[in-house]
Amino acid sequence: MSIEAEHIHMERVYVWEVPVRLSHWLIVVSLLVLSVTGLYIGNPFIPVSGEATQHFVMGTMKSIHFVAAMVFTLSVLWRIVWMFVGNPYARWNEFLPVSKRRLVGIWNTIAFYTFLHRDSPAFVGHNPLAGVVYTVVFGLFAVMIATGFALSAANAHMNAMLSGFQFLIPLCGGLQMARFIHHVGMWLLLGFAAHHFWSAFLVGTVERSSLLDSIFSGYKVLTPDVARRARKHIEED
Amino acid sequence: METAAKPTLVWLEFQDCAGNTESFLRASRPTVAEIILDTLSIDYHETIMAAAGHQAQQSLAEAIERDHGKYIAVIEGSIPSGAGGAYCTIGGRSALEIAQEVCDGAAATVAIGTCAAFGGLPAAAPNPTGAMSVSDAVPGLTNLVNMPACPANGDNLAALIVHYVTFGRLPDLDHLRRPLFAYGKLIHDACEKRSHYDAGQYTEEWGDEGHRHGYCLYKMGCKGPVTYQNCPNIGWNGGTNWPVGCGHPCIGCAEPSFWDRMTPFYRHLPEIPGLGPHASLDKIGLGVTVGVAAAFATHTAVHVARRSLAGARKTASDEENES
Repeated sequence: MSIEAEHIHMERVYVWEVPVRLSHWLIVVSLLVLSVTGLYIGNPFIPVSGEATQHFVMGTMKSIHFVAAMVFTLSVLWRIVWMFVGNPYARWNEFLPVSKRRLVGIWNTIAFYTFLHRDSPAFVGHNPLAGVVYTVVFGLFAVMIATGFALSAANAHMNAMLSGFQFLIPLCGGLQMARFIHHVGMWLLLGFAAHHFWSAFLVGTVERSSLLDSIFSGYKVLTPDVARRARKHIEED
Repeated sequence: METAAKPTLVWLEFQDCAGNTESFLRASRPTVAEIILDTLSIDYHETIMAAAGHQAQQSLAEAIERDHGKYIAVIEGSIPSGAGGAYCTIGGRSALEIAQEVCDGAAATVAIGTCAAFGGLPAAAPNPTGAMSVSDAVPGLTNLVNMPACPANGDNLAALIVHYVTFGRLPDLDHLRRPLFAYGKLIHDACEKRSHYDAGQYTEEWGDEGHRHGYCLYKMGCKGPVTYQNCPNIGWNGGTNWPVGCGHPCIGCAEPSFWDRMTPFYRHLPEIPGLGPHASLDKIGLGVTVGVAAAFATHTAVHVARRSLAGARKTASDEENES
């Protein structure tokens, strides 16, 4: 008897709705653009010679950075709104572990990832540990948005809409501190991106789950047991 | 101005270096001579007054009593609160006591220089004397103007005094009580090297080709983009020049806690706490990102190894059962 013979009938369940997937990929793309342009703004590495009036490298980088920042901010806000109107897997309590089942699930997931448990705990949406990590990531998003808006508010024209965010400057501890936090935040998010990419790969291949496909298609392929739980929304206890 | 009565001004120095006095003495529009001889009656100023000792103390006491509620008080230097105020005493009285008495009776108080406005160098970590700004030492002052910078520009102070004498009120202030005419704009936004910044042309090291061409000093740690002051417009020493104009990056001296936050002066970002001045945030960040990726690669390898091991064991036991 071989492993292949253990095949059981799997079910496709619609988990990630269009707004969830769209905001996910908009955040991915904008974060990538923001990181590349941000690294340049923090340490301009492209040599430019000749007349200053003939070039606009920093200016272009900053413009792209600002546009990407708006896309990013709106995507994050949109995703937060969807936490209250979306399906059960998009809800806020998938992130904050408020139920006992999810609190216990955090430990079970850690035990699985540290090779203490052989079987991965079954959750349809985010596993509880991932939910907690994404809560921290959303906190980081908020910090990046606040420091970013503080920095751009300082540069904004007196009557421009952005100048209304100048109240953020003292909250960040001044502009220089805002710069520092913004820079540290970028690296934390890039570190998270490395982790996120790998864990998605890991869960997708090693656990043989459909997680990697699901962020494209929206569907997860689940065992009948987990799928039944999904239909009854037992995760929402 | 010519018809206005000469208002009284008293100038107090506490934890300071007299740098703002030096700067004020170089005011050129109007000159300090015009201000002292024609515009104001400066009744107390330790550095420039003729009287000394008890005579000096007496002239201060007389001035604040005679013109109670009408005089302008200028405070230079921070005010120590530690050891009951013993770190700075004049004529046996603490700076705190003198400042409270003088500011309470003033029509307007000007905190001149970063030390008086925000605590400055004496208040920098670890602040051994408990140094405070005027606004912290004498809370509740409604007619306080902060004029930070190290030192504050003499022409800005002269402009403020002329404004006050002419119109009888203070100019518009921002949320840190700084006059907007002098602190309403970032240095960066009026900088003569701004076109090089936008173009992407930077000085990479002292005296290099870019430095000699007057390229932007952003990469040399210039704090112009995070500092509010009108240096590029008004200039120093009668408008002769200003730091960035002569090739030195702005050190952000007019900002709150500049000695703690703007250092290292020649680097773009502050130090990472606990890692010393030479740690590079970008190198650490890249290291962490690569480290995370490597850790996960190892984790994946363990998983794959375990699974193939389990698979091999299973196949072996299956073969045993079959035989």
